[in-house]
Amino acid sequence: MSNVTLYSVSYLLSDAVLRAIGSVLPRPLSTWITNADLITGIAVLVFGALLLAASMLNTIVLIWWERKLLGRFMDRRGAMHVGYAGLLQNFADGFKLFRKTTVQPREADPLGFYTGPTAYMVTSMILFGILPISSGWNSGFLPLSLLLALAVFSFAPLFIFVSAWSSNNKYSLMGGMRSAAQMIAYEVPLLLAVVAVVIVAGSFDLTTIVYEQQNYWFWGPLAVALIVFFAGMLAEMERIPFDLPEAEAELVEGWNTEYGGMLFAFFMLADYLRALVGSILVVLLFLGGWTLPTWVPAALTSFPLAGIVWFMVKTYIVFGVFVWIRASLPRVRTDQLLRVGWNRMIPLSLLSVFLAALLVTVKCLPVFGCVPSLGV
Amino acid sequence: MSEMWINMGPQHPMTHGLWNLRVRIDGETVLDVDPEMGYLHRGIEKISEDRHYNEVITLMDRTCYVAGLAWEHLYIIAAEKALRIQPPERADYLRMMCEEFQRIGSHLMWYAAFVQDIGLMSPFLYGMRDRDLVLDLFQSYTGARMTYEYMRVGGVRNDLPPGFTDQARKVLDWLIPRFKEYDQLCLGSDIFHKRCDHLGVLSASDCIRHGVTGPMLRSAGVKRDLRKNRPYSLYKDVDFDVAVADGADVTARYLVRMEEMRQSVRILRQVVDWLDAHPGPVMAETVPRWMGAPYAPVGREGYLLKRQYPKGVGFSSIEEPHGEAQAYVVNEGGEHPYRVKFRSPVFANLSAARTYLVGYHVADIPPIMGSVDVCVGECDR
Repeated sequence: MSNVTLYSVSYLLSDAVLRAIGSVLPRPLSTWITNADLITGIAVLVFGALLLAASMLNTIVLIWWERKLLGRFMDRRGAMHVGYAGLLQNFADGFKLFRKTTVQPREADPLGFYTGPTAYMVTSMILFGILPISSGWNSGFLPLSLLLALAVFSFAPLFIFVSAWSSNNKYSLMGGMRSAAQMIAYEVPLLLAVVAVVIVAGSFDLTTIVYEQQNYWFWGPLAVALIVFFAGMLAEMERIPFDLPEAEAELVEGWNTEYGGMLFAFFMLADYLRALVGSILVVLLFLGGWTLPTWVPAALTSFPLAGIVWFMVKTYIVFGVFVWIRASLPRVRTDQLLRVGWNRMIPLSLLSVFLAALLVTVKCLPVFGCVPSLGV
Repeated sequence: MSEMWINMGPQHPMTHGLWNLRVRIDGETVLDVDPEMGYLHRGIEKISEDRHYNEVITLMDRTCYVAGLAWEHLYIIAAEKALRIQPPERADYLRMMCEEFQRIGSHLMWYAAFVQDIGLMSPFLYGMRDRDLVLDLFQSYTGARMTYEYMRVGGVRNDLPPGFTDQARKVLDWLIPRFKEYDQLCLGSDIFHKRCDHLGVLSASDCIRHGVTGPMLRSAGVKRDLRKNRPYSLYKDVDFDVAVADGADVTARYLVRMEEMRQSVRILRQVVDWLDAHPGPVMAETVPRWMGAPYAPVGREGYLLKRQYPKGVGFSSIEEPHGEAQAYVVNEGGEHPYRVKFRSPVFANLSAARTYLVGYHVADIPPIMGSVDVCVGECDR
């Protein structure tokens, strides 16, 4: 496909801007400002800024997408008034939250109260530096990118717990406890489901995993792993039916009860960042990432940035399924969630690992074909 | 975690009104509860003593804000007995229609709030959407969507507008398939059964001991419905079944309310047909002229005080959407009732909270309290 990568774009930008500045500056300054090291350094910064802007924009569009979908599921229209079909509604909401005072309870511990949401948001943003979006559109070759992504992903309950405890509110504390319990119950099957993918693909590198899906996407043969991963992701993202830590019926707003203004916006944004990452992981691990099946006409895959376009389409469809589940299922209870986690999900994830091992043994499947790294 | 008390209320998503449930918990287990009511007490009984008989109707709409017409009906029956006025037959049918539509409206409101309590998001809006149709009907003949002030001592304020019965039939036809849809969303879901089966059990004997009535009592298998057991208005002329379920749990209460809505539709079809076939007056001929006028005619200030009216008392009890409501009106011959007393079913249903909440989880409190169908307005009066 095309050779345009995120880094080359940011390098070109940095190069052009610095040369433009250099051309109007006097002699010693202009040579200094156009030297290769500075261009590279600025390029890295531009790279980070682009990534941040892209992830933020996507998150906000994702919130819009959820609001619109949820509206349709509920027989209404969702946001309609600000911007075309309410596209700018979330910017307006964000601006409103930005202007609001942050109220800190008198008995709250300021250290945890402020670091909790900040760290929650920062760790969620780090994830975007790890995930590849299309071939070449990643921050470099990370042989263990999947492992790193999941490790950073599972930070969140810690910071939730910190902010819940330091709020000094009983509801917050209960929400934090539930979050911790939920993590213990769901991290294990989630990782085992990932192990199934890793066994088949033979790599922890997300780009390689996508490359290994060129003959068939993993969701077919590894359907059990997909189900476990999907349910685990629901629990990790704390969405209905597993949104116990912030079950608004009994815990008011759970762990973020005491947060308002921009700190609440941090939580909200980070929640959707994580939802976006969850959907992206499903696409990368099971739905072939940015690739399309070979029988798709070439015209659909050869236009510029086709990989990114298809990747985003898949991500938004996967997130739509999450929204669909949210719109139609009640919330489960903590003990039921833990029981499902330990009694059902772990055996299922072990089964998926077994099936993956079986797949590696037989190498090729009759209908689907072969995984490239398994040879033949 | 050690034991602690938490306040669920007065402002809490679970309360659906203004009351406080103090809960003693150990981890996630409920050890003790202490319901505190009275935040919404407005002294409606006392205010009623200062009002003309017809002015009390205004208060009745405010007593229960989701079942205003049912409370109007309750008061009107008692007031008419106290004043010895007989309403015309058509007025009685209109009142029955009001009450049954109100029952559907109230139960839809309950459904919307209840599914929200177990975390279902979409059916909340489905319930509100369908309740809106009922409110549209109310608006078309009472002029209001919430505070109707429609009934009068001796009849009702006005007859139906032209074309109303066709519109009402359309709404009824729309509702029946919707109930099926609700059932699919709730009963069709395994999580719903996991959350609601064997939850908040209140046995028949406990119900009777605490004076719990209405759908909660019927969900325990007791076939008691005042519309059948002690028919008021003209309920003996219409054909319907009493909704009963076994189990005494949250699911049973859900089933009872759903079936009640279906039965209400059944009653309404008969009532609407009757109303189409029997035009007639909607106010009694015998109502004294002063009854409608809150103030004496100009220049005749002594008019109200001079006229004498036979004394009497009136008692009524009706099957309100939340349970059995009772009213007692004492007429001492003045233009105001001497004393008015109401019995709210929700107050009794809430007071039994300790019996059906202790031992369950914190997460179970919202579904259980949702299944009680709390209307704090009538509880505190």
